[in-house]
Amino acid sequence: MATITVPQVVPSPVEDAEALMKAFQGWGTDEQAVIYILAHRDAAQRKLIRLAYEEKYNESLTQRLQSELSGDFQTAMSYWILDPVERQAVIANSATKCIDEEYPVIVEIAYANSPAELLKVKQAYHALYKRSLEEDVAANATGNLRDLLLALVSTYRYDGDEVNSGLAKSEAKIIHKAVGNGSITDHGELTRILGTRSKAQLVATFNYFSDEHSTTVTKALLHGEDPTGYTRALRIAARCIADTNKYLVKVLRSAMRSSGTDEESLSRVVVMHAEKDLRDIKEEFHKRASVALEQAVAKETSGDYKTFIMALVGSH
Amino acid sequence: MQQFLAVAAQASSNSSTAAPPAPPLRSRPPRREQPSSVVKEATMADEHQELTKAFSGLGGLGVEENALVSALGRWRKQPEKRSQFRQGFPGFFTPSAAGGSNVTIERCSDEYVKHLKTEFSRFKNLMVLWAMHPWERDARWAHRALHKKHHPAAVLVELACTRTADELLGARRAYHALYHRSLEEDVAYRLKDKETSLLVGLVAAYRYEGPRVSEDLAKEEATALAAGGGAKPQSELVVRVLATRSKPQLRATFRMYEKISGKPLEEEFGGEAPCMREAVRCLDSPAKYFADLIVEAFKDGADKQAKAALTRVVVSRSDADMEEIKEAYLKQHGAKLVDAVAKNTHGHYRDALLAMIGK
Repeated sequence: MATITVPQVVPSPVEDAEALMKAFQGWGTDEQAVIYILAHRDAAQRKLIRLAYEEKYNESLTQRLQSELSGDFQTAMSYWILDPVERQAVIANSATKCIDEEYPVIVEIAYANSPAELLKVKQAYHALYKRSLEEDVAANATGNLRDLLLALVSTYRYDGDEVNSGLAKSEAKIIHKAVGNGSITDHGELTRILGTRSKAQLVATFNYFSDEHSTTVTKALLHGEDPTGYTRALRIAARCIADTNKYLVKVLRSAMRSSGTDEESLSRVVVMHAEKDLRDIKEEFHKRASVALEQAVAKETSGDYKTFIMALVGSH
Repeated sequence: MQQFLAVAAQASSNSSTAAPPAPPLRSRPPRREQPSSVVKEATMADEHQELTKAFSGLGGLGVEENALVSALGRWRKQPEKRSQFRQGFPGFFTPSAAGGSNVTIERCSDEYVKHLKTEFSRFKNLMVLWAMHPWERDARWAHRALHKKHHPAAVLVELACTRTADELLGARRAYHALYHRSLEEDVAYRLKDKETSLLVGLVAAYRYEGPRVSEDLAKEEATALAAGGGAKPQSELVVRVLATRSKPQLRATFRMYEKISGKPLEEEFGGEAPCMREAVRCLDSPAKYFADLIVEAFKDGADKQAKAALTRVVVSRSDADMEEIKEAYLKQHGAKLVDAVAKNTHGHYRDALLAMIGK
């Protein structure tokens, strides 16, 4: 369920475009006005506003926002203003540029989407960058991590419920053997299984694993320390398969530690899910962290950025 | 199959004593002024040869349905003619004592009947494939390549590299619907050998389809591939490039590679990496690749898969790049494709192929 609130009576896109131009004019920008409008429009409405603005003022709203705003607020807003599909393509593209650190984002995008949605993201990527997401991932990552990331973004997974339990059992065994006592022995098989099997099949496989070995796949992967990031990517993948929302809650909590907020990750999760399923994520957050997401955000962020994120999260 | 052809050709030339033996695969010789008994024998020999050819006894693909039916009509109530035919076609019939008595019957060779089954069904297979949705067709071919013995992985390379990004995706969708698994998982699971990562990469690709090419990138990747002096390119690098770059980009890279290293990339891969070689050929010039597949189907000693490739290529490319394939065929093999097909195939199968190839 989405968390953004859209007013009962929505002004026309032209009215919104005019109001935005008014907010840009004069000394400084009226950030509150910008948030008041844009944070309370859904994707279709935002698109119409972009078109109306461009037609009326002969400039791109996206670029104007980039020049008028700054800092974390500007980053978050530049993601928010885009179509959901384009947004993920843009986020994926910037992740490929420093893929050795940002690979968790790629894993997240591969799993937060259904196969059909992931396909749309890849098509948007073609249109925006005149290259495929797979090329950029393959060209920038190396070794086993690359094989895993490439498998995750390329595979067009079977989306149905059919599960082969014999296969689930045998692959649970393979996973157990490959993970060993900490260091991974068979990268090929792990990449193959996690990279190509359907979600339903993997859930069944993980269940067999935990029945047999009294520990989850995720926990079993905790031991190995791997500088290449392969093990961590595998763990993220395993977590997302088991429960994507739980993983996203973890990302949010790590982003809002009192030692310093990771606005990139916070913005990404909130912006990517505000129109989708942030409400479910909020519930999970509350369960795990014993505070509401709004309270955590209010505590760890400030200024216009805080106002914007709070509006998206669903409180005024 | 070879033995059938050799024996049949031998037999048909043996049975014509007076007239010169007609060469196989030629149509009936024109009637000449000759003594009537000689004419009678010559005609008999011709009829036998025609019927043998119709039963796919003289090589070529498919059966000559019309000739078979007209023989039925002509030889109605003439069992001795049929008997002579059986005696004259040792590839199809072998003499065998009937239950210990002195009477011999010419019994059907089971091997030959199996061969006939394949030849009779070529037309049927073509029509069924033609009627199918292209995505389902490709999905079924891919599934067969993975799950039946003696089916080379080259078919997968062909499908993955010659279809457009959306066609390949469609085939993967159809695969989901038909087999309740993804093509990627089946390839990864069933082909656990040296070239698996290449094949998985190729079938999982969703390439950028636009024309934009970066010459700098082509140079960079060609240089990286050619690095190492005379040594072969590293396979990991090859897989990454072949499986992810767009086709126009790859062609630019291939050209650059040939400039840098002096020979085409496909020649770097020998028998130990057949799929890599096929992939380069398919990505670089699919029309040439298909023309070569067709020529293989017509060769003596072509196996079952090579012959089946003819139907597959014509049906799948008839709407796509058949004109380019015809050009490539003429250029590579010095003959028109329509002539080669007319010469090497029979009956409804031939007519169907020619209709799909076009003028």
